[in-house]
Amino acid sequence: MTDTPENVKAELSRGAVNLEVDPSIYPLGAIYGAAYIFIDRCYVFLYRPSETSLRITLQTKEPEPAEETLRALVGEFSNELLSCAWRRQITEENRELIQAVTSKALSGAMGSPSLDDLADFDFSDDEFEDPLGIAQSWEEKHGRKTPKEPAEAPAEAAATPEGEGADS
Amino acid sequence: MSVDLQRLSLSPTKPAFFRWREVGDNVVITNFEGNFLILSRDEFAAFAEGRIEAGEELYERLSAANFLRETYDVDRAAESYERRKSFLNSGVNLGILVVTLRCNESCVYCHASRANMDAVHTDMSPAVAEKAVDLFLASTSDFVTLEFQGGEPLVNFPVIQHIIEYALERNKTAGKRLEFTMVSNLALMDDEKLAYLLEKKVQICTSIDGPEKLHNAQRKLATMDSHQKAVHWIRRINEEYAAAGLDPTLYHVEALLTTTRATLPLWREVVDAYTKLGCRALFLRPLDPFGFAERTRKRVEYDRDDYLEYYRNAVDYMIELNKQGVEILERFAAIFLTKILRGEDPNFLDVRAPAGTGIGQLAVNYDGTVFTCDEGRMLHEMGDDTFLIGHVDTHRYRQLVGHETVHTAVIASNLDGQPDCVNCAYNPYCGTIPATNHKTSGSVFGRMRESNVCAVHKGIQDYLFQKLATADAETREILERWTTVRPREHFVQGVEAAEAETAGAEAAEPTP
Repeated sequence: MTDTPENVKAELSRGAVNLEVDPSIYPLGAIYGAAYIFIDRCYVFLYRPSETSLRITLQTKEPEPAEETLRALVGEFSNELLSCAWRRQITEENRELIQAVTSKALSGAMGSPSLDDLADFDFSDDEFEDPLGIAQSWEEKHGRKTPKEPAEAPAEAAATPEGEGADS
Repeated sequence: MSVDLQRLSLSPTKPAFFRWREVGDNVVITNFEGNFLILSRDEFAAFAEGRIEAGEELYERLSAANFLRETYDVDRAAESYERRKSFLNSGVNLGILVVTLRCNESCVYCHASRANMDAVHTDMSPAVAEKAVDLFLASTSDFVTLEFQGGEPLVNFPVIQHIIEYALERNKTAGKRLEFTMVSNLALMDDEKLAYLLEKKVQICTSIDGPEKLHNAQRKLATMDSHQKAVHWIRRINEEYAAAGLDPTLYHVEALLTTTRATLPLWREVVDAYTKLGCRALFLRPLDPFGFAERTRKRVEYDRDDYLEYYRNAVDYMIELNKQGVEILERFAAIFLTKILRGEDPNFLDVRAPAGTGIGQLAVNYDGTVFTCDEGRMLHEMGDDTFLIGHVDTHRYRQLVGHETVHTAVIASNLDGQPDCVNCAYNPYCGTIPATNHKTSGSVFGRMRESNVCAVHKGIQDYLFQKLATADAETREILERWTTVRPREHFVQGVEAAEAETAGAEAAEPTP
């Protein structure tokens, strides 16, 4: 590809284009968001060659794409990436307003549950399956450690590196 | 010369929150609640730099419109914002019923993913129709429009009759203000069908693509007379309305236009064709990216700058006709002007934020599948089920409206979370369509700078603000008149006509 930025490498033979971006400029969530919209047209690979670089490979599902196709992919990805990054920031800044409008819109449209809705509601106290303990509180899952006898404590701590700090 | 913000010393204390946009020689400023002012560049610089003092004419104008921190009225802003977003208080008011995909016409831009006339398996059954009616009458909105679409809905007329009878019966207990609308090419209309539709107060809409030659080339019947047939029935229906004692300025067949590349140079002929038919509204709709339009895009599509030139020419001409006593309005203009000048939202579901996707409309396909919107249903016909949220057999209203896809669409069409829109002066008046964004950019959020819809919305509002900035008294009066909504009580059933005054925009027409 000609007139290509340094961070873009095309591999025409593979029908792929590599784009390296600086993760300090683009949050990882924005990179995921931008990459995802290409999965109908491309196989998308993310790789981290270094701490300061993240490589996105867009390999077209269409065999032997034209150079213009690859160029358009890079351009579209770059625009989508900026869009995702900025949207992430705006959403944080306007979170309360967006939440208020969303809540109002959905509650206004949904209204109160009907008798049929309530009939389907699970009012029982029966436990549901939760093999990963997702619904448990932190206390239920980990509990407060019982104070150990002074003589045992150092040895116990050394044997369990996953202490509270590791979970937090 | 344009405004250079870098050369201005922006005041951190005088201006309250504002957005701005240069329009012609002026600068339009808008605030959070949607008030606007049109300033000269010098006035804008004085405002931005805080070089304004109480007692000055500019200060008083800015203060009255709530643009100054020291006089900012929070309660007034909150009330205005709430009024502008009042559509959030109610749910689905537009229920689309695709009673068949079969269609007798073949249109170059067909949005509806039509089926051939022998595809009887694409007819909605009475059982599905009843469940669809039950779904829509469960809406939290006290006003519900049931819209018959296709394909060509007249192909499955028995099911339309069944829906009407069933809905009227069910509404005796549901107690909605109920309206029926049918979107038809009218070619299969006959006296018997018309008599029934008139008796049941069904509002009839059709498509007219302008002059006969253009219409017949774009909307093809085997007999090549789709225009003649549509015109015949438009005139006949309008005569029936008049004979029934209905005000012809309010009650007449609504016609929709789809703009193709071939339409662009014919703006004058299009307007004339509509006024000759007695239409008092013209909706200069650009092409959608759905259905056959995608496949024939290269032949019928056009640059949005060309569309906007066509739009400006057509609306300028319509304003001139109004000055000569011919009453006709452009619908995009009426929608935006109502928001701009009246501080109200006419609840047009595609130009509001959040969009009506799933919270203002639902579409039931012939087979009972339910979509957040008609665009989502069209995507389904193109093989994309992103906006399919359930089925009338298995999902109740609340489950559908509470579907995660609807949540996503609500968030995605909130302009306060949208790059570009968040800073756009037209934010309080605009809207984006998640299904269109998804189709064109792969993301329900879209990228506004690359969006044709955004280009059209911005271009139209630029035009309108330029008109407002330069309009003489007569033009201003015409534009104001386009924002006046007159309810069509005759079509509203289940309530006294007087109650319809507060009904949604689907039952009302702006005054031409």
